[in-house]
Amino acid sequence: MRAVVLLSAGRHPLSARPAPVPVEMQAIALARGLGADVAGLHAGAPDLAVREALGQGMDRVTVLRIGEADDAVAALAAALAADPPDLVLAGNRGRGGEDSGLLPYLLAEALGWPIAANAVALAAAAEGLAVIQARARGARWRLVVAPPAVVTVHPAAPPALPFAYARARRGRIEEQEGRSAPLVPRVAEERPYRPRPRVIGVAGGGSAAERLRAATEVAGGGRVLVDPPPEEAARELLAWLRALGFSRSADE
Amino acid sequence: MRVGQRPRMRLDRRGVEAVPPAAMVAAEPAPRRRVVAEPAYLIFAVAEAEGGRLSRHERQVLGAARRLADPGGGAVVLVAPSLAEDAGAAGADRLLSLAAAERYDLEAATALLAAAAARYSPRHVLFAENEGGGDLARRLAARLGAPFAAGVEALSAREAVCPCRARRAELRLAPPFLLSLAPDRAAPHVGPAHEASPLDPPAAGAVRRGILTAAPLPVTAAEVPLAEAGLVVAAGNGVKDFAGFLRLCSALGATPGASRVVCDAGAMPRAAQVGASGTVLDALAYVAFGIAGAPQHLQGLGRVEHVAAVNTDIHAAMIARAELAIVQDARRVMPALLALLEAGG
Repeated sequence: MRAVVLLSAGRHPLSARPAPVPVEMQAIALARGLGADVAGLHAGAPDLAVREALGQGMDRVTVLRIGEADDAVAALAAALAADPPDLVLAGNRGRGGEDSGLLPYLLAEALGWPIAANAVALAAAAEGLAVIQARARGARWRLVVAPPAVVTVHPAAPPALPFAYARARRGRIEEQEGRSAPLVPRVAEERPYRPRPRVIGVAGGGSAAERLRAATEVAGGGRVLVDPPPEEAARELLAWLRALGFSRSADE
Repeated sequence: MRVGQRPRMRLDRRGVEAVPPAAMVAAEPAPRRRVVAEPAYLIFAVAEAEGGRLSRHERQVLGAARRLADPGGGAVVLVAPSLAEDAGAAGADRLLSLAAAERYDLEAATALLAAAAARYSPRHVLFAENEGGGDLARRLAARLGAPFAAGVEALSAREAVCPCRARRAELRLAPPFLLSLAPDRAAPHVGPAHEASPLDPPAAGAVRRGILTAAPLPVTAAEVPLAEAGLVVAAGNGVKDFAGFLRLCSALGATPGASRVVCDAGAMPRAAQVGASGTVLDALAYVAFGIAGAPQHLQGLGRVEHVAAVNTDIHAAMIARAELAIVQDARRVMPALLALLEAGG
């Protein structure tokens, strides 16, 4: 089985120095866990972050040289279609670029391959590849996709392999000319990040005292049962949980 | 006297005899549903509605959709599987129900959303930026080739702001067709309920099948990390029988938590600690057995919506915080609850 891990030019959130994106390193570990032959693929200028990825379980990385204003999806799709692997892995969000997490989806659409998002585990299945997908509130889904497929990796996946300096020195970076297609520029203004306050409680109405109360207490006050018999207390608790929709888990 | 509708006390120095203004005497108007009969445009808000209920995040998405719809006389369409609660109270003018079969079929859901977008041509489609909503939003963006803003942190009718470059920069742009809203960035809808009248779902287009099967995996609640758990049951100093407590947690399908005192004593692992020096929860519901509710513990409940408490002290802070407070010994309620669950509820 051949797997290609998409590497991006990651930046460290504090120092802004080139640093590999952690979730992409986890993707390498997942691919190696499958026993796949893993190679890296990067579109853009050769980047220090990509070289560091060699130390975390990869022998070779192909860099498709494209310009700043070129579309990475077109270059990646052309390279993957020319020599299709069984599996393309990517992080679910980049760190250092636009960070929208959209590229794997656009790539899957361009190639006509299925995509499974937020993988935390991969296994070979009879019909294809089984992907365990992270969902909200700690839930997990099991998807089976037919290879070739694109899979994005979730941060809850097993940790990356330890960095090995000698491997990073030994690994090869092959540079190629990538297919250049101009990207339609986005009408957006880029500014330094400004942290904004989060919404707490019910905003927008009432005085400051009311907003504080909404943020710290239950609106309208709770029900208080004083010294009920334990059986009645248990019934009340269970009815409360059922009303919140926890009956299914209670029935299991 | 109080002046006007605002609940703020003001001094009235006019020396006039205090006559309540007419507005104050007038009876509260009967709750009426707000109806947007002829919307100028539509805003879609897509929700997964796990268990038939809108999550806090999804109610925030509906609130943000209202902010986009209200200035121009638009209407909010909630696209969700069938709901067990009132979508109108959350601010939905229309309801577009997805069939239950499409719950696990992401490709069919994408095709249906694309068909709905083609038929009703909404101005914006809003998603919740979490594992499920974010996935669907990007699938639709790739399918339609539509502009998309991911993890929007500030949204108004004129601009959307989303972080980029490892959160060291932000993009300001006019709200694109597809948006996913980060959690806790918009207020949920408050005020009168909207009508939530049903729209007929469009005929689904062709579905390209690449995902062969999809099904939820049974997850043992005890193995779910506390920060991700949906239901947390926690033990404090009022609990002595920890084997029984863990049995109760597994019978309820809840993730076990504990207070600092219990973790310090070694009765529960440190990973189970809830509070400022432990885990801050994002659960839907929390049940506290024998926990008084120190401020550091209550900090850990920052985002929990529904809290129940069992404690012997009626003046405990946890009783004041709880939506359902039971003043009784946790050592007597826990076995009763376990017996009730084992008897089949």
